[in-house]
Amino acid sequence: MSELSVNHLLGIKYLNKKDIQLIFETADHFKEVINRPIKKVPSLRDITIANLFFENSTRTKLSFELAEKRLSADVINFSSAQSSVKKGETLIDTVNNILSMKVDMVVMRHPNPGAGVFLSKHVNASIVNAGDGAHEHPTQALLDSYSIREKLGGVGGKKVLIVGDILHSRVALSNIFALQLQGAEVMLCGPKTLIPKYVDKIGVKVETNLVKALNWCDVANMLRVQNERMDISYFPSTREYTQQYGVNRELLDSLDKEITIMHPGPINRGVEITSDVADSKQSIILDQVQNGVAVRMAVIYLLASKIKQ
Amino acid sequence: MNILIKSATIIDPKSEFHNSTKDVLIKNGVITEIADGIKNTLNFKEIKLDNLHISQGWFDSSVSFGEPGYEDRETILNGLKTAAYSGFTAVALNANSDPIIDSNADITFVNSKSNNNAVSLLPIGALTVDSKGEYLAELYDMRTAGAVAFYDYKKPISNPNLMKIALQYASNFNGLVCSFPQENKIVGNGVMNENITSTRLGLKGIPALAEELQISRDLFLLEYTGGKLHIPTISTAKSVALIKAAKQKKLDITCSVALHNIFYTDEVLTEFDTSYKVLPPLRTKTDVEALIDGLKDGTIDMVTTDHNPINIEGKKIEFDHADYGTIGLESAFGILQNIFTTKKTIDILTKGKVRFGTEQTPINIGNKANITLFNPDTKYVFSKKHIISKSKNAIFENETLKGHVYGIISNNKTVLNS
Repeated sequence: MSELSVNHLLGIKYLNKKDIQLIFETADHFKEVINRPIKKVPSLRDITIANLFFENSTRTKLSFELAEKRLSADVINFSSAQSSVKKGETLIDTVNNILSMKVDMVVMRHPNPGAGVFLSKHVNASIVNAGDGAHEHPTQALLDSYSIREKLGGVGGKKVLIVGDILHSRVALSNIFALQLQGAEVMLCGPKTLIPKYVDKIGVKVETNLVKALNWCDVANMLRVQNERMDISYFPSTREYTQQYGVNRELLDSLDKEITIMHPGPINRGVEITSDVADSKQSIILDQVQNGVAVRMAVIYLLASKIKQ
Repeated sequence: MNILIKSATIIDPKSEFHNSTKDVLIKNGVITEIADGIKNTLNFKEIKLDNLHISQGWFDSSVSFGEPGYEDRETILNGLKTAAYSGFTAVALNANSDPIIDSNADITFVNSKSNNNAVSLLPIGALTVDSKGEYLAELYDMRTAGAVAFYDYKKPISNPNLMKIALQYASNFNGLVCSFPQENKIVGNGVMNENITSTRLGLKGIPALAEELQISRDLFLLEYTGGKLHIPTISTAKSVALIKAAKQKKLDITCSVALHNIFYTDEVLTEFDTSYKVLPPLRTKTDVEALIDGLKDGTIDMVTTDHNPINIEGKKIEFDHADYGTIGLESAFGILQNIFTTKKTIDILTKGKVRFGTEQTPINIGNKANITLFNPDTKYVFSKKHIISKSKNAIFENETLKGHVYGIISNNKTVLNS
């Protein structure tokens, strides 16, 4: 049986193309499971998973918890909007305390880039990165690619546009790595102040004009402006941002082709995307949410099977 | 202290015995004879070591020893011991302490900790009170107690008028002002060099621009005020060019580069290893090449280890929260020799001291013995067992070093590695 090349999911950049294929094929199976009347399999009855969220999260936390429960894993949750450092305890100590209660896997969201990588070097458990600062959010990128694959039949050769606050976005970075690994072309669009200066060296196109960018793409992934991560105002007002980088019906209708609209959530309706776009047939936003559970089940299942070995 | 050094190859262009292998007789701390086959008639202590080379004593313009306040990181006494075993006969100590060294009494305290030591401790006083960048510290009063320069360690003076006044005021008594090259407003929350690696890691970048803007400002100020300015630890190619141009204008400017900034690039950070978290940050290959060229052509005056002991608690945490800094004295010689010839390495290790108020002491008859003893050829892998510092935060751990330090003869004392 195939297995992942890694023991942790710390970021897309640590995966290879075969890993992604394996995750998607496994997710196909679990997507079928969660649409059954009995949405549960007994696969991970002997596995205990700790969800450690050092940063606020609603959908990712729910999605992971649901994925774990549908695999019959035992689940414990720990949430703290503060990082452990601020409380005086180191991250390693916090996690080791939890692991000493015989936990096999840690799903962690953390405000600092590299927190998952750091933890994987110092504690004895399988780590799943559920978002670390502006570094990576690998399961989001996997579910995004999975959703593109479902909607368009594949990811290779597709033109995917990511719009908005790239500078503070772990979703953007993981998506870039995932899409490139699968042979898609990636373009970033947003105000220059929200695009990392050297991002073109990663091999992506950069466009500051949204109309040109939308005309180029097959899929547009609209990101939220992450005000909570900003140390200074990167644009004068939300109103002005929306004028330049908000997607609305009129704009979509002016394009030559029908593109697919995605959003990792939570949506700021009327800012980066209008309601008539978010709720339209072109939008696959709710499919992304459903696929998130299947993809996370696949990731956890595949990592757990390596623990069992 | 009476010593007879047997068969030592002298590496000292200022000595008439440069490049020759001689015996050196030292009587009461003064070199009394340099010749072939000196007979040990007075039964002096003899030093006879494998492939022994000697040079003038080495100098580091930027070290931190924790004390007072951070004795858990390092003490002055152990710091000096580290310096001695690493071949340094003089080190300039930063006001990187708690309380900050910003008064005559503070300088006197530091000096009292280093009396009668083989290594000369040259205290640097803070430029502003408590290094807060608000009011000038009592520079002249510190100078009278022995302060060799004035520097708010790693804290840029954000107010240009204050820097202008500092340069003007210190020039009254030929004082050396140091300015950390960083514009903090540009740095923001940056923690590593801004480039493709920071982008891939999602870590906030520190643009080279932050350094270059500050250096440009300071050079304009220096041109206006006159006075003596030293810019510690430059890290970018453009900084080298800026200082080169300033030297062509005959401004009284010197600068240093940290050894790790000419050895590593930011690419080593891909695994978020906090050992590599230093300030200024590790930059690009282009920067490293320009810095090395700057050393070769004399634009950069000296290399510093920027030795800064940090507790494990300050390093074994998330990258954003980790402290900046590395120790470096122990590995300095062996790393430099990986980049430069032995002759150039010795040149780099000896020429900065004049700027910090210490005379050159060539290995000539009649001069005080201020000597570093070493074997330039042995190679070894640098590991924790080679670290003398209390804190073990060594950026060069696991690197192969070229050259081994035997010890020093300085201040009428001998310190030799066993």
